[in-house]
Amino acid sequence: MQFINGVTVGIVLFGIGILGLVLRRDLIIKLLSLGLVNESVILCLVSLNARPDGVPPIVYAEKGAPYVDPLPQALVLSAIVINFAILALALVFVMLLVERYHTTDSQRIEHEIQQEEHR
Amino acid sequence: MRNFPLGMAVFAVILVGCLCGVLIGGFGYRGAVDEAGAAYLLRAVEDTGAANMVSAIYLNYRLYDTLFELLVFSVAVLGVRFYLVGRNEEQVGSIPESQVVRTSADLLFPPILLLGIYLVLFGHLSPGGGFSGGVIAGTGLLLCAVALGAEVVARRFHEGILERLEWGVLLAVIILAIFPVAMGRVPLTDLLPTGRLGQLGSGGSILIYNGLIGIKVFIGTWVIIHYFMRHRGEI
Repeated sequence: MQFINGVTVGIVLFGIGILGLVLRRDLIIKLLSLGLVNESVILCLVSLNARPDGVPPIVYAEKGAPYVDPLPQALVLSAIVINFAILALALVFVMLLVERYHTTDSQRIEHEIQQEEHR
Repeated sequence: MRNFPLGMAVFAVILVGCLCGVLIGGFGYRGAVDEAGAAYLLRAVEDTGAANMVSAIYLNYRLYDTLFELLVFSVAVLGVRFYLVGRNEEQVGSIPESQVVRTSADLLFPPILLLGIYLVLFGHLSPGGGFSGGVIAGTGLLLCAVALGAEVVARRFHEGILERLEWGVLLAVIILAIFPVAMGRVPLTDLLPTGRLGQLGSGGSILIYNGLIGIKVFIGTWVIIHYFMRHRGEI
C-alpha cells in the first residue's frame, strides 16, 4: 500500500482549499477554493473503496471480475450536482455584490457595509 | 495572502496542516472494503436489470436521493433566474464572431448533441446517465451561443417553451416518484419489465428517469448559462 493515493492527495487538496477559503480575500478565489474542497471530498470518497485491480461496476461479459464498490460513486453524484448548484448561486451573489460595491475584495465590501450602517 | 498579519497566516497554515495530518493518519486508505456495496453488487443486476450498477443504485434503490438532488438543482436554476432577471440588461453588442468559430460550432454541435442523447439513453448500460448527458448537450448549446450570440440561440430554441417544459419535467418526475406511495405501492421503480440484460429496453423505469433527468438538466444548464450571459453581456 503506497502512501501517495487518492485519499491522501484528497486530504492535502482539502487543506489547500480550506487555507484558500480562510486566507484569501478575493471572493472569486474563495469560490474556487470552495470548489477545490468539494472536489477533494469527491476524490476521497471515490478512492476510499477503490482497489488497484478493480473494474468499473458495469456488468460486462466476463463473470467474477473484481468490481469496485458502486455505492460511493452513486453518492458522489449528488455531491457533484450540489457543488454545481452552489457555485452557480454563489457566482450570482458575487455578481450582485460587484455590481453594488465594484470590488471582489471581501474586506473592502465589509468595510463599505459598515460605513453605510454608520451613515 | 495579501494584507494578512503574518502570525495569523502561519497559525492557520499550522492548524490546517495538523488537521490534514490527523486525517491522513486516522482515515487512510485501507484497500478495498466492500461491505455496504457488496449487497448491491450481488443483487443489483437481478433486481433492476441495469448493467450499470451505479445507475441501478441512484435511480432505483436510492431514487428519493436523486429526486431531492434534482430539486436542489431546480432551486439553483430558480435562484439564478430570480436574482438576475430584470437587472442590468443593457444590450452589449455581440462581438463579431470569426468564421472559424461559426464553422466549427456548426460542425461540432450535432455530434455533441448526439453524444449527450446517447449518454442519456444508454445510461443504464454503459457509463453515462441523465446528469452527464444533459450537461454535455447543454455545453453544445453554449458552443452555439459563443458562435451565434446567446439571444439568437434563445430565440431559435424558443426559450419560453423550454422553461415551461423544464418545470413540467420536474413535475412529472415528482409525480412518478411520489404518487404510488399515496396508493400504498412501491415508488415506480418497476414501471417497465426489466427485459434482457444488455438491451436498450432493459433496466425497467431507469430509462424513463434518465430521459426526464436528461431533459431537465439540459434545459437547466442552458438557462443558467443564458442568464449569466444576459447579465454580463455577450462573451
